Amino acid sequence: MVSTQAQLGRWLRRSGTLIGFIVVIVYFTINIPNTFLTLPNWLNISQQISMLAVVAFTMTIVMVMGDFDLSVGSMASLAGIVAALLFRDSQPVLLGVVAALVVGLIGGLINGVLVSYIGITPFVATLGTLTVFSGVAFLLSGGETIFGRDIPADFSTFARGGIPVGMVNERPLLFPNLTIMALIVFVIVWVVLEQTAFGRRLYAIGGNVEAARLGGVRVRLLRLIAFMLTGMGAALAGLMYASRVASANPTQGAGLMLDAIAAVFLGMTLSEEGEPHVAGTLLGILILGVLDNGLTQMKVDSYVREVLIGAIIIGAVTSSSLNRRGR
Amino acid sequence: MRRIALFMTLLVVAAFTLMGTVVMAQDAPSVAVITPYLAQPGTQFLVEGFQTSATDLGWTVNVIDTAGDVAAVISRIEDVVNQGVDAIVINVDPAQVSAGLQTAADAGIPVFGMDAGADALLITNVTSNGYAMAAETATYVTDRIGGAGGVVMFVFDPYPPVQKRGIIADTIFGNNPDITIIDRITPDVTDGGIADSRAKMEAVLAANPEPGSIKAVWAAWDQPALGALQAIEAAGRQNEGIVIVGIDANPQALDAIAAGGNFEASVAQDFSGIGEATADAVARVLAGETINQRVIYVPTTLVTSANVADFLGS
Repeated sequence: MVSTQAQLGRWLRRSGTLIGFIVVIVYFTINIPNTFLTLPNWLNISQQISMLAVVAFTMTIVMVMGDFDLSVGSMASLAGIVAALLFRDSQPVLLGVVAALVVGLIGGLINGVLVSYIGITPFVATLGTLTVFSGVAFLLSGGETIFGRDIPADFSTFARGGIPVGMVNERPLLFPNLTIMALIVFVIVWVVLEQTAFGRRLYAIGGNVEAARLGGVRVRLLRLIAFMLTGMGAALAGLMYASRVASANPTQGAGLMLDAIAAVFLGMTLSEEGEPHVAGTLLGILILGVLDNGLTQMKVDSYVREVLIGAIIIGAVTSSSLNRRGR
Repeated sequence: MRRIALFMTLLVVAAFTLMGTVVMAQDAPSVAVITPYLAQPGTQFLVEGFQTSATDLGWTVNVIDTAGDVAAVISRIEDVVNQGVDAIVINVDPAQVSAGLQTAADAGIPVFGMDAGADALLITNVTSNGYAMAAETATYVTDRIGGAGGVVMFVFDPYPPVQKRGIIADTIFGNNPDITIIDRITPDVTDGGIADSRAKMEAVLAANPEPGSIKAVWAAWDQPALGALQAIEAAGRQNEGIVIVGIDANPQALDAIAAGGNFEASVAQDFSGIGEATADAVARVLAGETINQRVIYVPTTLVTSANVADFLGS
């Protein structure tokens, strides 16, 4: 009996956020009966959160080590600008995409070197590169929004396309390409973090960096690689964003960073040890996306929405940390 | 465990109480107004003007601010299309949200631009003539300084409606061979634009210490003009006759013009008039009319010390 209770307690501790999420879904389903719990709406939500999801999934990789990357938003903007400028120069779509991803890798490499080899704290290092990447995006674009004919149709229709999964109101219902991209990134990050020695070592660094080093983990190199993956994820998200808005603007990724960190924190409340796991991050993103979608459909004032979302993040993290302390 | 349950319950109860107070009746025509720029004073007047008319017409209006995030505008358009609103009004560059506009078009929901930009997927766009406004203030500056001297420009090319203004000012100043552009500055607007413009202007003042070396500051909107004014006053150079002009005639700018200092002119867009005209366009379409005019312009007024009193109370 006692052990059953203890097990239940442990499960509840881990699942407070999940229960909250389910309560929110039930509430929206009751209050928005015709449209909320429908396949088109959920495909719609999945597409809306896809860019944030890619940033947050790859952000999880550095957060596993207890680091974080503040530069992801500017990197997303910069990647979009790099691709758009190449498009304007009539270069093939593939070249623009590859160049943007390479820029992401290089940006991540810079972050990684600063943090791992020079030893600057991630906060300061990535705050610095946040400003640098943003400045470079402004410099390259001359501060302008690149849009219209400069963006090839092949690129901008990608974000509107998808795999047909049925018909709704005589229009094809698409499983969005952007959602597929996010799912692919999810699977890759999940495999890397949960199924490889590389991932286990990152968790070891996050647990105790000295112990990991003494245990023979090549901390510096792994950290460098982790930051590069995060940088490339940010660049991919920037490309998805640019495709979705069919334009590139030197500030357009700016909102991604804080939401991505918030999603990882929400996800961390699901883990017994308070570690980030990519499945938890997925739940964190879903919470943010579902709240945005449901509250919009319920005509809730957008400022009230922001207050609610912030309060929910604080509430979820508070309750899980209180419980961990109370153990 | 109890604490978690308590926390989540409290949160959920609080959330639902808040929602309960804002959920409205469903039967009146329902219109969603979506913008990333609600924090800007001009946008607030637009929305208020629209809401005033909409309330008179008995509509339910849902105002959605995405806090600067353009992709979120697409998401919110998709949400309200799903929800089945009767019309959507956007205040954002339509070229950047065409994915959302297409979704609305597929669902047969009309979308209107309120100071947005022209687009084939919009029924119409209601706005001021940005070219004409910039021409008014750039001409004012040119006349005041006798077509000669150094001019500092504050521009913002990433936002197309403001970029238009800069282009016209470039042309007018460029047409006066004795006018030199000392600097063409794009301020950082994340803090609203005043503080960074002030800092940039302080640097320009430091680089041009000779009285008379700076004849005028032309700003594409009021915030940089106000920042420049602060910088000039802080440097003690307010008596050099530097002419400052802005555009939009926001309350702070009107106060500055009324005070009779360096800030001499701005252009008043009739934001609430644009909001009302947008509501009028929505009403016409909901009544079954077809609108052929791709852009509907609402007149603007040059505000100087001569007529600023007319605007101060409004």
